[in-house]
Amino acid sequence: MKKKVLSLILAALTILAFSGCAAKPATETTPQKTDAEKIRIALVLPATVDDMAWGQSMVEGLKAVQKNMGEDKVEVAISEKLGNAVDAGAAIRQYATQGYEIIFAHGSQYQSVLNDIAKDFPKTTFAYGTGFATQPNIFAYDPQAQEGGYLLGILAAKMTKSGVVGIVGPVESGDAVKYNYGVQQGVAKGKADVQTRIAYTGSFNDIVGAGNLAKTQMSAGADIITGSSQQAVGAVRAIGETKGNYWLSTDMDQSSIAPDHVLASQVYHWEKVVNKIIDLRKQGTLGGQHLTLTLADGTIEFKYNEKLADKVPAEVKAAVETAKQEIISGKLKVELPKK
Amino acid sequence: MEGFMSIDIFIIILATGVRLATPFLLAALGEMFVQRSGVYNLGVEGIMMMGAFAGFFATLQQGSPLLGIIVSLAIGALMGLIMAFVSVTFKAEQGISGIGLYMFGWGLSGLLFRLYVGGVTSIDGLKPIAIPMLSDIPLIGQVLFNHNVLVYTAFLLVPLSGIILYKTSWGLNVRAVGNKPEAADTLGVSVVKIRYQCLIVGGMLAALAGAFLTIGQANMYADNITAGRGFIAIALVYFGRWSPWGILLGSLLFSMADSFQSMVQVLGINFPYELAVILPYMVTIIALAISYGRVWAPAALGKPYERGTRG
Amino acid sequence: MSSKHNGVFKQIIVLLLALLGALLVGALFLILAKSDPIKAYGVMFSGPLGDKFGITETLVRTVPLLLVGLGIVISFRSGIINIGAEGQILAGAIGATAVGTSLSDVPAMILLPAVFVAGGACGAIWGGIAGWLKARLSVNEILSTVMLNQIALQLYLFLIRGPLIDPKEVSYGTGVPQTALIPEQIWLSRLVPGTRIHSGLIFALVLAVLVYIFLWKTSRGYRLRAVGAGSEAARYAGIKVEWYLVLAMAMAGGMAGLAGVVEVTGVHHRSLEGLSAGYGFSGIVAALFGRLHPLGTIPASILFGALLVGADMMQRAVNIPAAMIMVIQGLVVLFVVSSDYFLRNPDSIVKLKAKFLGQKWIGEVGSKWKDS
Repeated sequence: MKKKVLSLILAALTILAFSGCAAKPATETTPQKTDAEKIRIALVLPATVDDMAWGQSMVEGLKAVQKNMGEDKVEVAISEKLGNAVDAGAAIRQYATQGYEIIFAHGSQYQSVLNDIAKDFPKTTFAYGTGFATQPNIFAYDPQAQEGGYLLGILAAKMTKSGVVGIVGPVESGDAVKYNYGVQQGVAKGKADVQTRIAYTGSFNDIVGAGNLAKTQMSAGADIITGSSQQAVGAVRAIGETKGNYWLSTDMDQSSIAPDHVLASQVYHWEKVVNKIIDLRKQGTLGGQHLTLTLADGTIEFKYNEKLADKVPAEVKAAVETAKQEIISGKLKVELPKK
Repeated sequence: MEGFMSIDIFIIILATGVRLATPFLLAALGEMFVQRSGVYNLGVEGIMMMGAFAGFFATLQQGSPLLGIIVSLAIGALMGLIMAFVSVTFKAEQGISGIGLYMFGWGLSGLLFRLYVGGVTSIDGLKPIAIPMLSDIPLIGQVLFNHNVLVYTAFLLVPLSGIILYKTSWGLNVRAVGNKPEAADTLGVSVVKIRYQCLIVGGMLAALAGAFLTIGQANMYADNITAGRGFIAIALVYFGRWSPWGILLGSLLFSMADSFQSMVQVLGINFPYELAVILPYMVTIIALAISYGRVWAPAALGKPYERGTRG
Repeated sequence: MSSKHNGVFKQIIVLLLALLGALLVGALFLILAKSDPIKAYGVMFSGPLGDKFGITETLVRTVPLLLVGLGIVISFRSGIINIGAEGQILAGAIGATAVGTSLSDVPAMILLPAVFVAGGACGAIWGGIAGWLKARLSVNEILSTVMLNQIALQLYLFLIRGPLIDPKEVSYGTGVPQTALIPEQIWLSRLVPGTRIHSGLIFALVLAVLVYIFLWKTSRGYRLRAVGAGSEAARYAGIKVEWYLVLAMAMAGGMAGLAGVVEVTGVHHRSLEGLSAGYGFSGIVAALFGRLHPLGTIPASILFGALLVGADMMQRAVNIPAAMIMVIQGLVVLFVVSSDYFLRNPDSIVKLKAKFLGQKWIGEVGSKWKDS
């Protein structure tokens, strides 16, 4: 029996192998020549293209670039749900082989696989983030999430009635920590006796867990809540069912989920990052730079929800604006946690 | 730290725990019938995802959460049927078929979502129904009697499952098929039929658990919405030693621990939050470990029934 | 043609029919997703097996699948349903990384074995806990392994964001949850330049043979299988059942832990988020496809690795949602595991035919089965 099975599987494999050789390989092994005018961009995402957070904000940035430059000038290919860096590595290498010129690996976990691949494709530009480590043909991008977080924190401190601001975090690391730390500092700056309460779901994608944690936050007194990563949409929705509570969103404007509850957003303008990388590449810089997203260069935008803008008193807006100008001018530096 | 462990906080923890227990309870009671009949279905997670999507989609289309419940039950029955077809009729290795079903359900729910919805979309789900009189009882009123209909359903299913399992002839047949299929067969009970029925019931309850997540809690759908809850439900069947009351105990213990750890985090007690997040898992293992005793399990669990020849 | 050849031939036909069935049903979903099934499947098969890149990528997946699968073989053979490999992989990875990064001055000759031992031991301890809980405290292994997976994941995240985080991540303020790189001298060598296939493959293949020898050629292995065949009978025969349960789970955990080690030393060179990559579950499928035989698990892991790679390539070639990959994988698993029935019961095909022609299909299955 054992031997039979073994031989059976081997035989099946052989057949598969033959069928593989017979079929024409869909992927060319040499980089395709494309006309010089057209830029081919590929994007690899850990989560989904429609997560209303990190992934979607980048997809929309690429689409905006495509729209501005013309569909015939920019080609965009996307692979999603590659949270596992091994599969992501295969996708990245395949894109490089197919002659894509700029490949965005939109996750901090892709740093190692990129280093591995970039050596073999010296003429291709790779970019990933959040990160800092670069190679001659790898850009690292790094949103200064704490800057917008600080402004949202000031807003929260001045708007809360209960005196408690809640954070529904995913996992205590990376961008979430930066953002949360910014919010905490902003709240402290905004009003001395307002508390910030941080709790984590322990998952990047458990929207049900995030919704429940938001409910717990609210029942324990928080009336303004924020949080990052794709799990946060569950929390936004939970707040959307209540009265008098507000959500502050980050990564992208999440007001479409709860139009009457999302007070303001920190929005990443990936379009500008993508444009910058395209320009640098045209000038012959294939990588090697650590690109930060900041309020100062406009890649991070602080944005009120227009529908609710009149709920924010003018003096609160003024305080936020002052802080924003101080950050932009460099007078104020929002600190990062030091362990 | 004001008033930590005040009575209000305590009530919030309990009420949240009751709500969190619902999906585990529904899925685990379903899986209990499945395992009692001698099959273990590791595909609960996949069925839950399909149920979650079906309930969400029907509610989105028609604006009726009730319809969402009905559609998810139908989809759950269908998924249970697939599992029955593979593991009962074709007598496939149950661990592998369950994992196959899990992958299929995860993939299909995500695919259908992308094809027919796409993007974050909200629905108006089930509303809490405060039961008159009872919800006004001090303390327990808010804990027990101000939830949505699926929460009540889940808790009512506990005694109901007990009655079905222990007091009806069908329940007797289920237990017989799971324990001594040969004997049951000799007495004219169709092993295959009972297992089909149990897998369909189990599928329906798992799908309902999924639907609870979308139309009873999140009011939206996202990829991997169950986030491992189906596997925990399976684990809780073992915790409950295949009895409805044991499953109730396990579900409540797990959920109360979860609700408690969220509150502890929110109230800002300073230690690594991971310790808080793993609390429910630790508590469940430890509770089972210290209560160990005579272990009983359906004797034919996991064994496809081969008639006549080898036992 | 001899009857034996006839048997093998029939088995291949059945397996191929099962694959065909899965692909046909999958084609319906592909059409639903408005893509061309023929083109999609062309990529799915030619991708992983058609060129150097595809083949090596398939083998990159084969290594962890095989190692996890070997652990599953040992645990299932001793009667334990171990679904805790996800957590055991993480335990192994973090153990290996901790040793690798903290002893970076030690020469590779010593450090590499130390890393493997550390990772294997961490996996073994994590698996052994479940074994011990079952043996001493009667805690069901499905419960404990499900719970231990979650606990391992949270502890792993804590370690890679906290005590073991790459110091550079802190100084640059990015705070990405990943450890420092392990020293380059212990990176597993690449077998084919320009690809990712690493010497972990050889390690896994050797281990498969060793597990085979252990289970079938040693008395311990024999007793372990005896425990799996029936613990009461084994107890009568004087076998210390409890001890063997712990041993089996420790070995299973150790194998999964080694899968974590080769992922660290061969692929990522550090511990990072998402490292276990679902291998804990797909490894179960690989082991069961391999008929719970260490050597059978080898081709099964290759097959399943090809499926993972091919389905993933499909996403890029025909532009379908990534979820389709899981649909196809799930269908292949369900069909292939069902087709097994026809191999065990050679005369069943005839019966099935009669059934198809005779009655309404599902409603009658139950009662008809008894009469046939």
